[in-house]
Amino acid sequence: MSDTIKLVAEKRTDFGKGAARKIRRANKIPAVMYGHGTDPIHISLPGHATMMALKQANALLTIVIEGDEQLALAKDVQRDAIKPVIDHIDLVVVRKGEKVTVDVSVHLEGEAAPETNVTLDRNVLEIEALATNIPENVVVSVEGLRAGTQILAGAIELPEGATLVTDAEALVVNVTQQVSEEALEAELADLEAEAGIEREESDDDAAEAADGASTGAGGESAEKPDES
Amino acid sequence: MLIPRRVKHRKQHHPNRHGAAKGGTTIAFGDYGIQALEPAYVTNRQIESARIAMTRYMKRGGKVWINIYPDRPITKKPAETRMGSGKGSPEWWVANVKPGRVMFELAGVTEPVAREALRLAMHKLPMKCRFIQREGGDI
Repeated sequence: MSDTIKLVAEKRTDFGKGAARKIRRANKIPAVMYGHGTDPIHISLPGHATMMALKQANALLTIVIEGDEQLALAKDVQRDAIKPVIDHIDLVVVRKGEKVTVDVSVHLEGEAAPETNVTLDRNVLEIEALATNIPENVVVSVEGLRAGTQILAGAIELPEGATLVTDAEALVVNVTQQVSEEALEAELADLEAEAGIEREESDDDAAEAADGASTGAGGESAEKPDES
Repeated sequence: MLIPRRVKHRKQHHPNRHGAAKGGTTIAFGDYGIQALEPAYVTNRQIESARIAMTRYMKRGGKVWINIYPDRPITKKPAETRMGSGKGSPEWWVANVKPGRVMFELAGVTEPVAREALRLAMHKLPMKCRFIQREGGDI
C-alpha cells in the first residue's frame, strides 16, 4: 500500500440538492465523513484530486478539515451512470493500527493449460487488514492449471498481515474445458435457425473457402457444372 | 431465444422510456462490457443476434453474460386495419434499456479480442453504446 493521499476539505453548511449541485458546479464533490461514534461531518472535496485518488482501490486518504487531519477510507462512491463524474462520497474514519474489512480485487497471473477456459467467479475477496497496510490486489496464479481445477478462497495465499473474511469454501477460479469447435458450431447454427437469423458469409469464411477450393480442387475443371 | 415462460398479463402499456438506469451501471461479472448511452427497446432477436456475433468472433474462448431480459410485450395491429376494436396482438418481447445500463459482459479473452467482439455485438443493437472495462477494483 502506498502512502496516504492528502485532500483539503471544506465544511458544508448548506444542504439539499440545490446546495449539492452548486458544489458540483464549482468542481467539488460533496461528501460525508463518519465513524468511531463521532457525529457525521459534511464536507466538500476538490473534484479532480479526489477522482485521481479514488482511481486506486482502497486508497487511504488524509482529510484536512480546518487544519485537523483525519485518516479515512472511501466506503461508498456514487458515480454518474454515464458521465465520468463522482456525485457523492461516504468516508469512514479510520485510525492508525486499526484493522478494517475491505474488498480487494483478485488478479489472475499465468496461462492455464491449452484448450481450457479460466473463469473468475469472484472478482473481489473480503479481507481484514491494517488500515495503513491494505494490499492493492490478491494475485492468483493459474499457470498450467488443467480443466476441472477449482481454486477456493481458503486456498489463496493472502499478503502478509491480511486475513480472509470471505467464506473459505467460496469458489474463486474455475478452470473448464473448452467446447469443441463442432459442438460450438452446431449450437450457434441451432440458435441462428431458432432466431431466424440468416448468416452472411464473412470475408474470413470466404477466404477460407477459397483457399480450400484452390488447394483441394487441384484443377480448373474440378467444380465445373456438367454440360451434357 | 429469451422469452418469458408465463406472464400475468399478455398485453401491457408501453414501457417508460425516460430517465437513466437506476442500477446495473457497472461491470458486475466479467472484465469488459457494453454500456447503453441512449434509451431503447432491445428485442429478444437483437439480444440473441448480439450474443451469436460475440460468440462467433471469440470462437471457443471466454464467457458471455447477458444482463438484460426481454420481459415486456409490445403489441401491433395488423396492416390495413381500422382503428378501434381493441388492442393489437403481442408481436415482440423487449427489454426496456435506459442510458447507463451495462447489457453484455465478457471475460476470459484478451482486450483486443473483447473490443472487437463487443464492437460486432454493438452493431446488432438499436442504440448508441460504448465499450467499458473493469479497472482495478472499480470501473
